Amino acid sequence: MTHRLTRTVGVLVAAVCLLGTAACSAGSGADAGQGQPTGSQSGGGSQSSQALTIGLAAEPVSLDFTTKDGAAIPQALLYNVYETLVKLDQQGDIQPALATSMTVSADRKTYTFDLVDDAKFSNGHTFTADDAVFSIERVKHDWTISLKSAMDVVKMAKALSPTRLQVTLSHPSNDWLYRMTTRIGAMMTKDGVSKLATDPVGTGPYTFGDWKRGDSITLERNDNYWGDKPHYKTVTLKYFQDPTALNNALLSGTIDVVGTVQAPESLGQFTGNPKYQVIEGTTNGEVVLSFNNSRPPLTDKRVRQAIRYAIDHKALLDTCWAGRGTLIGSMVPPTDPWYEDLTGMYPYDVAKAKALLKAAGHPHPTLRLRVPALPYAVSCGTVVKSQLEQAGFTVKLDQLEFPAAWLTTVFTNADYDMSIVAHVEPRDLGAVFGNPDYYLRYDNKAVQKALLLADEGSEQQQVAEMKKAARLICEDAAADFLFLLPNLIVADKDITGLPQNAISESFDLSQLGRS
Amino acid sequence: MSRPESPGYQPPTSEVPVGRGARRAVNPSLVVGAVIVGAVIAIALLSFVWMPHDPTLVDASKRLLPPGGDYWLGTDKFGRDVFSQILMGSRTTLFVGVVAVGVAAVIGVPLGILAAMAPRWFGEPLMRGNDLVLAFPALLLAIMFSAVYGGSTLVAMIAIGVASIPSFARLIRSGALQVMDTEYVMAARAAGRGPFAIAVHHVLPNVSSLVIVQASVSFAIAVLAEAALSFLGYGTPPPTPSWGRMLQESQELLWSAPRLAIVPAVAIAVAVLGFNLLGDGLRDYLDPKLEDRR
Amino acid sequence: MALRVLRRILVLVASLAVSSVVVFAFMAVLPGDPARVALGVNASPAAVAELRQQFGLDQPLAQQYLQWIGGLLRFDLGQSYVSQAQIAPQIADRLQVTLWLVITATILAIVMAVPMGTIMALRHRQLSGLALSAISQIGVAVPAFLAGILLITVFAVRLGWLPANGWTPPAQDPRMFVRQLVLPVLSLGLVQAAVLTRYVRSAVLDVLREDYLRTARAKGLRPLPALWRHGLRNAAVPVVTVLALQLATLLIGAVVVERVFVIPGLGSLLLDSVSNRDLIVVQDVVMILVLAVLLVNFLVDLLYLVIDPRMRDVR
Repeated sequence: MTHRLTRTVGVLVAAVCLLGTAACSAGSGADAGQGQPTGSQSGGGSQSSQALTIGLAAEPVSLDFTTKDGAAIPQALLYNVYETLVKLDQQGDIQPALATSMTVSADRKTYTFDLVDDAKFSNGHTFTADDAVFSIERVKHDWTISLKSAMDVVKMAKALSPTRLQVTLSHPSNDWLYRMTTRIGAMMTKDGVSKLATDPVGTGPYTFGDWKRGDSITLERNDNYWGDKPHYKTVTLKYFQDPTALNNALLSGTIDVVGTVQAPESLGQFTGNPKYQVIEGTTNGEVVLSFNNSRPPLTDKRVRQAIRYAIDHKALLDTCWAGRGTLIGSMVPPTDPWYEDLTGMYPYDVAKAKALLKAAGHPHPTLRLRVPALPYAVSCGTVVKSQLEQAGFTVKLDQLEFPAAWLTTVFTNADYDMSIVAHVEPRDLGAVFGNPDYYLRYDNKAVQKALLLADEGSEQQQVAEMKKAARLICEDAAADFLFLLPNLIVADKDITGLPQNAISESFDLSQLGRS
Repeated sequence: MSRPESPGYQPPTSEVPVGRGARRAVNPSLVVGAVIVGAVIAIALLSFVWMPHDPTLVDASKRLLPPGGDYWLGTDKFGRDVFSQILMGSRTTLFVGVVAVGVAAVIGVPLGILAAMAPRWFGEPLMRGNDLVLAFPALLLAIMFSAVYGGSTLVAMIAIGVASIPSFARLIRSGALQVMDTEYVMAARAAGRGPFAIAVHHVLPNVSSLVIVQASVSFAIAVLAEAALSFLGYGTPPPTPSWGRMLQESQELLWSAPRLAIVPAVAIAVAVLGFNLLGDGLRDYLDPKLEDRR
Repeated sequence: MALRVLRRILVLVASLAVSSVVVFAFMAVLPGDPARVALGVNASPAAVAELRQQFGLDQPLAQQYLQWIGGLLRFDLGQSYVSQAQIAPQIADRLQVTLWLVITATILAIVMAVPMGTIMALRHRQLSGLALSAISQIGVAVPAFLAGILLITVFAVRLGWLPANGWTPPAQDPRMFVRQLVLPVLSLGLVQAAVLTRYVRSAVLDVLREDYLRTARAKGLRPLPALWRHGLRNAAVPVVTVLALQLATLLIGAVVVERVFVIPGLGSLLLDSVSNRDLIVVQDVVMILVLAVLLVNFLVDLLYLVIDPRMRDVR
């Protein structure tokens, strides 16, 4: 993973330098494509199908990610309809987008962005630094989701000229620039935010077309787009609640791509078939067996450790997710610069688990495992229960309706001992383990300190401190990390530009093409 | 199936029972139905004393084994024994039916008798209210109940039971109305027996055959409802084995291990068939009795 | 007659009023604050309070109820808590989809069930009748979603004759619309036909035992013509009743088939809204369902007065 590390260091260096100017607007796609053909380059000879239908799992409940949580909204809209100043490429590196270049002051508190001058919002308005200021301030004042706190560090945003933006932070923050690549950094315009929930207005390569609720969202190619025009004229994101139905749709030709395979056992019907390509990569979705660290007997570190020893992660991954996915052992996916393989810290060892329980004075603890009624969680819950009971635990498995019942019971009221949920936000170690009020109720001053140092320090310090935090959490058994959800995509053979790893919040459509 | 009824409609009753003697004979529906239902009960009882494997034990090394050897029907993706799950799942099936039918009968039967015996100003609105419940389909009630009280088999089945109250109440009311017209009830009334006594000693015994028939039919409906709810994710929570959930879990393996779907599907269909046949058979067998008492 | 009709109308209105209270009360006791769920777990208390105020959730229940009913009477179903979209057009869309499905399935069921049920009744002692009986029994025992999964596996995945799922509005692409409708209609209709067949059989059997039919047959008419001339009306009564009673079950029961075939119908809207705690949508959908069922029952009642003159004197 060292190559990744150097590359990320490179990014931060690059971020400090200029990102190139004119070449950038044309190159933003080529950089991110990384060897994959980036479509037949806008309006090429290929008059083949101009429409693409992608099958996805969870439909958004609204199109407004400023007030609604959930991964489905940015998945559809970010980088496609809304653009950010900087965006994340396939390797997790920060690349220019609406900002062509950026300089950072010596005290690492002032960022100056040069912006493209030819980007237009879909309502006709030209994108300027004023819109960027408006967007940043709007996060601070009008957004309601918790992720908005990433913008708290911004002291002031100012338009120096229509194409030059200056942002001043109250303290140095590595995390801030990273968050600007997520939905937090989406650029909006003053007269385009009145109907965010139903009518998003952005500068992206696609414009919002139509939303048939319960069925699909249609995006249309933005013919006024300032950058490389995408290959497909119309992209339909079609939502399927039933994973098997999603597969069948591809098999019977009603869709072209399965964007996220939710039934990994079914992959076998595609792998041998020359009609399809199967892409397997990583995501940011850590499937966490979370502990309520404030509730006895889980307040006892030995009990938590016993749980980690009692779980056979390999067997769990094999049974729950057909062996697809990555064993991580900590809260860090391999695509993050501070990834370390910590799977060896708690090898499967039932005897040791029993011994720890005995030492803790709870040889047969009874724990309530309350999982959301989602396929992966229910599957994992079944296995975790069976495995823990081999080690002397008694596990009561509850299945809670998701989202409402799970959110109220587990997330808000922390009325649980253990739960299983995929934390899919990028770089969410701090959000999950750095906040004692979060539903894991994990309060560790050393971790909190490391997180703070990581945010404010240099990039080398950031990597070192994040590694330290991840190790502390892992060693302390604040949770068990079951596995990292794989990025599983199945598509017709001739579709190009599909992402290997799903590490941004977006399903980036601009790179897609047809060979 | 219950006699179709609706406000204003009286079931066409046979004025002259046809072939009474023949109908009294044990019919094939009854035999087949009784055998199947008996078998379901038998394997449920068997599961208490004997099972080849622990149906909830996850074992990654034994996943997706084909049928044969130690595992008669093979194993599922968790490495659990399918045959043991079917055995254990029969308990869930019976539990589902008993709860749903219990709720429906315990409320529906007295309601039906009350509606038949009460004065019109009371009985009529009672049946209207009863009709209103019909507007809330079983599935809807079950989903809402699950949302309110958390997903569990018990909650879902109480909902299915509540939704089945109207069919019990209607059927029992029409039966009770016929009984109320009989001479001996009139005689009992003339003798000054109270309405409660009449209800318990005369009406209830005479409509009991209707209750049994309806119970059998409702049982089948409840088993189907559990399967549908499991499919939607509102059914029996894991790890309790349930035929409905086995079917749901087998979906993604349909292309490679169709037996995982076929086994529970056949179990559900056969059990439902059994209860329906038993209901039909019982109706044919018991129905004339009511008319005999005229 | 007019008086009876008037009485039925009064009953209908009273039923609607009662059910609206029941539906509203049921929603009010659902745990999980809709405003909080709508905003997500991480929303600040202030934002939740603001949304509560925006949707009037901070007002007394009685007032909320009156506002809701007032809106309904003006065909204003309100605005979704979650997506902020107007609800009426959404429900109209979904209802249209579900009605296509339910009505075509019902027609299929009737077309299959009436002849089959009649044959089963006429030959109820013969092997052919018994065989048909057994088939219908098996049909009743198969859950609709299972039928759907089987149909997809065979006709869409293995044979590739028809699309596995999806929905296209008829105006957009009539050919695709029909192709996509075939399998869901079959899976809903076949099971429905099996249920209905059994009612037709028993209704016809009952009619066959009636005195007037025995008389007709004694006069030398063969069973089928006798039935055609004298019994059809009477046999139709229970069958129509069952159809009406099953409407509610079908409208919502279609949700399972909708899920299997990924059809954006009313049932799916209801399920999604329940899990998102978009209670106002749930309330509206349930109320519309109740309205539909009560209206159909009302119409069936009226129909009885027409079909069966005897009913006019009942009670």
